[in-house]
Amino acid sequence: MADLASTARIPNVASAVLGDLAGGFHDAIREGDGEAVASVAAFVASSLARAGEELGLGAVRRVAIVGEQRAVVVALSGGVVVTVRVEPPGALGAVEKALDASIGRGG
Amino acid sequence: MDAILQSLMDLSGVTAVLVFDPGGQLLGHRGHAVYDEGLCAQVSGALAKALDAVQLQQEDWETVTAQYADGKIVLRRVLATDRTNVLAVVADGTLNVSFATVALRVAAGKLKRLLEGGASSSSAGLGSSAAAARSGPGTSQTSPADSRPTLAASGLSWSKISNVGLSRVSVADPASGAFLGRCAKELAQYVGPIAKVYVEEAVRRVVPDAPFAMAQARPLVEDLAAQIEDADDRAAFQKSLAK
Repeated sequence: MADLASTARIPNVASAVLGDLAGGFHDAIREGDGEAVASVAAFVASSLARAGEELGLGAVRRVAIVGEQRAVVVALSGGVVVTVRVEPPGALGAVEKALDASIGRGG
Repeated sequence: MDAILQSLMDLSGVTAVLVFDPGGQLLGHRGHAVYDEGLCAQVSGALAKALDAVQLQQEDWETVTAQYADGKIVLRRVLATDRTNVLAVVADGTLNVSFATVALRVAAGKLKRLLEGGASSSSAGLGSSAAAARSGPGTSQTSPADSRPTLAASGLSWSKISNVGLSRVSVADPASGAFLGRCAKELAQYVGPIAKVYVEEAVRRVVPDAPFAMAQARPLVEDLAAQIEDADDRAAFQKSLAK
């Protein structure tokens, strides 16, 4: 999962950012402000994790945000947070599948 | 509103449906017995916080789907006349997200019409509706929203972010830049890593048309302090930056 370069090569991935659940920034590809993206993604993930915990849904694994112009996927695994911008948003399903495969391979 | 929420409850896998306003105030809910009003109000608050941050990076969001180990939450924006409310579906792992997304779109349209065609204030209208339906299972109204300022109208979007961290904010001199760094560091103790984003937002509010200078330090600190909910923490934050 932490192989950001291969994630960024998935078709329709406009940018990819590697961070952690504490909001730390590690790397970015085609994203000018990876630090801000990583911190916001971590905040979103932790807020949703809190909601999920209260509802007994277990650990949050992935968040997909869909808008008119683009979609964003925040994938979580072992404290690592990968945030991927998808353009156009219609490609989200294919990108999520590719991300799943990537997580399955790289953990 | 009951009928709208019930239509979503009828979807396979759905265990609860919530409607809340941008401040996280629960406007109505239906759900299995375990999802009582108190729990749904807590969850609404956490979801609203997440959506505040989502809004920072993607102003045009329409749906947010969170997948968990044992279930899913799907959120759909409901644009009413004066505010953006949120319709949320809580489900177990069997939910068909594609199907739910369509059902949510339909329900959001109906809810929008209800909000726009109902009482003058959407929350007041829903409150009446919820109170009237209180005898039915699981629809309720909860306490007022907290005082957190919304970040929804920030103007920041994913595509506009171009530099790193606080370097996106222009400063009058190195001392002013160092002060912003201190602000972010102190604020992070209370709000976490999103502090830098909050500082950038605050600078834009306090000095929208000029570089930040130390002359604006006090209004900036006051603006930032409003992001801290706990009064003692807020005072400690202000004190730490008064040194």
